[in-house]
Amino acid sequence: MLSRFKYLKPHNLTEAVQYLEKEEKSFVLAGGTDLMILLRRNLINAEHIVDIKGLPEMAEFEFIDGGGLTIGASVVVNTVVDSEVVKAKYPALHQASASLASFLLRNRATVVGNICNASPGADLPPALLVYDAVVNIAGTQGMRQVPLHEFFTGVKRTVLQRGELVISVQLPDPGDGDKSIYLRQARLRGHDLATVGVASRIKPDGKVAIGICAVAPTPLRLFALEEKINERELNQETVEWAAEEIKQHIRPITDVRSSAQYRMQMASVLLKRGLSHLITKEDNHGSS
Amino acid sequence: MVHHKECSLLDEHIASNQRKVSLTCVVNGVEICDTIDPTMTLLHFLRDRLKLFGTKESCGEGECGACTVIMNGKAVTSCIILAIEADGAEILTVEGLAKDGRISILQEEFISEDALQCGFCTPGFLMSTRALLDRNPDPSEEEIKEALAGNLCRCTGYLPILKAVKQAAERERKELKK
Repeated sequence: MLSRFKYLKPHNLTEAVQYLEKEEKSFVLAGGTDLMILLRRNLINAEHIVDIKGLPEMAEFEFIDGGGLTIGASVVVNTVVDSEVVKAKYPALHQASASLASFLLRNRATVVGNICNASPGADLPPALLVYDAVVNIAGTQGMRQVPLHEFFTGVKRTVLQRGELVISVQLPDPGDGDKSIYLRQARLRGHDLATVGVASRIKPDGKVAIGICAVAPTPLRLFALEEKINERELNQETVEWAAEEIKQHIRPITDVRSSAQYRMQMASVLLKRGLSHLITKEDNHGSS
Repeated sequence: MVHHKECSLLDEHIASNQRKVSLTCVVNGVEICDTIDPTMTLLHFLRDRLKLFGTKESCGEGECGACTVIMNGKAVTSCIILAIEADGAEILTVEGLAKDGRISILQEEFISEDALQCGFCTPGFLMSTRALLDRNPDPSEEEIKEALAGNLCRCTGYLPILKAVKQAAERERKELKK
């Protein structure tokens, strides 16, 4: 690698954000599964690497009944995969986490890194979006919270400003009787990016939430489609209708993994499959 | 476990503008103290500084698993980890599997099942398997496949590898009972 960076591992948050603000060519290191590749391919010129794994608030991984789930920025994906509470309360997040990259990479890759990297095809955002996830951001001016659906601004772009650092992502407690599923299409089983990924959720009040990746410049929460679905009675007929209607709400492109038409078709199929599964498993709480 | 030292803004390397950081870790049970460039990867530290050539470099991007080592109990790809990230960590490489001059059960089973051809991916497979059997001594075939999904073998030796892992798990369980 050509970057001749300095390495810094701060032990308090103020130190970290001040450093990130002061030094322009500084990059945040958590799992490194994206950053190290950018460095190796000389796609970035890093002068400072700020390793956040020494910050105690980044290690938080806790579920509070009625409060929800907090996933700190240094929590690796396999921790989420192995969590019984995630499996029971947030099945779509469990499934999305278990489908991300390979087991080896999941031992390093972090949930928050998957968000901050802001890849249009990232697997975790659809599942986090359907749970109304909120991103906790620290900066030199203090803390702020941004709903995940407002966090992404474009391909590999987010609302994060210089000197800001994501501490954690937070998901409200879905309560009892909540159901969700994450389905993804990829070229092969195993280590491949998603061609399309769809998270479907039916909330305890019967309302639907839909998150999707790899069909637009950013992962999307399909609020407009949800609203139209929620105006109808949730049955197989509505599911069939929604599977056609989704095509009006996404803008996939053609790339190495798939044509735009195939993505469009698979988004339709995965939504139909997901919602059908959820409505036919009425009594199976938190089914996968 | 080694003592984890403080490293902050006042760290020598930041203040003095020197391109060196000090690293302390345990590799295969031996405590190592060294001074390295912060851009060095864990893989290159193991190979170039410690001369542990068992850990291989292939893709260099975490895709193939040839560089797999066990760090604090977890199988990880050492090519995309900075050596300095291993400060305070315990590392196990393929050289650490043999005990008292005798190769491990796992290695014996890889040999007896011909679970290798060119052998370049083998250290990675051994380390992913070691980490798996340490946390789950009786894995199902699905669990084995999942744990080894990040290790690629281009001589297409997956079936013998699966068999070797299953037999090693069985033998290890028997030995534990003794």
